Amino acid sequence: MQQTILEIKNLSKSYGETIALANFSLSLKKGEVLGLLGPNGAGKTTLISILSGTLRDFTGSASFKGQDLFSDRRLKNLIGIVPQEMAFYEDLGALENLMFWGGLYDIPKKELKRRALELLAVVELSARAKEPIKKFSGGMKRRLNIAIGLVHQPELLLLDEPTVGIDVQAKVNILDIIRNIGQQGTSVVFTTHQLSEVEQICSRIAIMDKGVVLAEGTLAELIRIVGEKEIVEVSGEFSADAFSAIIRQSDGNGMEILSVTDNQAHLAFADSERIPAMMQHLFKHHLPISDLKIKSPNLEAVFLKMTGRSLRD
Amino acid sequence: MKKIWHIGYLDLKLMVKDKAFFFWVLVFPLVFILIFGNLFRGSKTDTKASLIVLNQDKGKWGAYFSEKLKSPGIELAVTKSEPKDYFRMLVIPADFSLKIEKRAAQTLLLKKDEDANMQAGAVAETRIAQAIVKLISELIIYGNHRDIKAFFDSRSPYRDLVRVRTRLPRDTIAKIPSGFDHVIPGILIQFVMMMVLLYGGISVMEDRKRRVLARILYSSASFAELFAGKFLGRVLMGLLQSAILITGGKLFFHLNLGNIFISFLNILVFTLAMACLSIFIGSVLKKEELIVGVSVLLANMFSALGGCWWPAEIVPPAFRTLGMISPAYWAMDVFHKIIFFGKGFAAIWPNLLLLLAFTAVFMALALRFFKINE
Repeated sequence: MQQTILEIKNLSKSYGETIALANFSLSLKKGEVLGLLGPNGAGKTTLISILSGTLRDFTGSASFKGQDLFSDRRLKNLIGIVPQEMAFYEDLGALENLMFWGGLYDIPKKELKRRALELLAVVELSARAKEPIKKFSGGMKRRLNIAIGLVHQPELLLLDEPTVGIDVQAKVNILDIIRNIGQQGTSVVFTTHQLSEVEQICSRIAIMDKGVVLAEGTLAELIRIVGEKEIVEVSGEFSADAFSAIIRQSDGNGMEILSVTDNQAHLAFADSERIPAMMQHLFKHHLPISDLKIKSPNLEAVFLKMTGRSLRD
Repeated sequence: MKKIWHIGYLDLKLMVKDKAFFFWVLVFPLVFILIFGNLFRGSKTDTKASLIVLNQDKGKWGAYFSEKLKSPGIELAVTKSEPKDYFRMLVIPADFSLKIEKRAAQTLLLKKDEDANMQAGAVAETRIAQAIVKLISELIIYGNHRDIKAFFDSRSPYRDLVRVRTRLPRDTIAKIPSGFDHVIPGILIQFVMMMVLLYGGISVMEDRKRRVLARILYSSASFAELFAGKFLGRVLMGLLQSAILITGGKLFFHLNLGNIFISFLNILVFTLAMACLSIFIGSVLKKEELIVGVSVLLANMFSALGGCWWPAEIVPPAFRTLGMISPAYWAMDVFHKIIFFGKGFAAIWPNLLLLLAFTAVFMALALRFFKINE
């Protein structure tokens, strides 16, 4: 049985009236890559900030390898954190940055340099190791941001939206790096609001919204929540109220409303043969539909079912 | 301690890496040094009172009077022809003896170089006055004897019958700090302020905005280590600025700092205060333009009030009192005491204590407002 490396219990944090985390609990096993999926404002960054020790005034507990994470500063030597921001020195080169950030840990200088050079190769920045970072592209900066979090060889890596604001190719590179880190035995918690990213690289996924975990499991386990249903995505110039009113007039047997917002709705059908009848019903009521997609059950459907809204909302 | 050094040293490294670094820490202060150095050029190097006596007298009394001018504190040279260069020269006219014999009034001419040292001049002029009074008194006692020397040799108690002593009023500024030995320490204090407040303040603000401060705390470094590291970085900035100006001053202007140990102590304590002030400024201000404005304003205001540009000794007493609110005043006072007035540690320790009090106040403010997130 895999060792539990991180155990979070009932973490709660509020900013005035706004609740960021509400009795948030989660556990992570050694070598797992956990994707923490949630829309903006779900509490992902608050969670990372608490775990990194830079946010106070919260309740609840977190233990790392059985020890209280917040009482022993030395545990930080075993945890790597990659913030959403490019938090490094842009006037320095990549190697100089790695040497600085690694120097904050008790690593002998020779070993640190060897490790820094190795990491630069991993993130494909060896050729530009000495160039000031301000000349780097967004993707290169993101890769260096991750390398800094890894320079002290942590057992747990927390990444806060590491692919924000970069192009597709750079995103693919970063996801590859994260996948490799996980394969080498480092436990990873990876926050994102990109469904495809967690589908690609995470061994386990937790869906969170409004400060709580709504569902967690492997991709297959989560999809089972929706069941063997066909998902229909309806788009058009309609309001959520108009759509709901028309749907209420149908018999609705075997159909589940996953989400309804202005201009878009998601419906799940246990029997795909009922889809044409429902569409006919919508057209009969002159609902201005512009697009219709039939999909197999996926993580998006799970997310819609759990949160009642799409990640884009 | 290793982490504190690691954090502090990086700030120094970033400052040195700045493209404009050498302009700000060397070229710009050099311009100030040249301007103020020439403006307050002050005296030439005749700190010992030198006096040339141009004896044109055709009789014996000119030589006799010249003898009266001799004193351990005076470098006396008697000549028959006028030299090209001198700091001050007393001209004994050709009819000096003749007028003495006739007991007639006469005029001695004292010529001075305008750049000559004031204190040395005062010593020489005092000696001339003493010699005149002594000669007149001897002439009164001597009467009409033939050989005045033989007269007084046989009556030695009479020789010191008249004593002339001079005393300056209390608090008279006998010497005004001037020249490069005043200007270089002044510009050094100004630029330590300017560089530490500017670079130190801006980098604290930028590190906070980029969340670099927060990321340092992601490691096992504590808040205390982070703060101490930032503080050390700014102290190192100040010391580097000082080292550059002292080296330049020694090489190009023969800078004399008096007691080196006290000078270093003075610079260090002053830099501690500025390091804390820069963290405070960088913590409360959120925009680079604001930090630049406030830093330049404070550095220049403290410099002007503190006597970095012109000696505080020459300003009106009220302005001098106002200057005491500036930490620069106390640092400059230490420099003046050890460079120009030959004082030691006993005279300057209250200044160092005051600078430490400034440090304590700025440190309290820096600790109160230092934050890792916006």
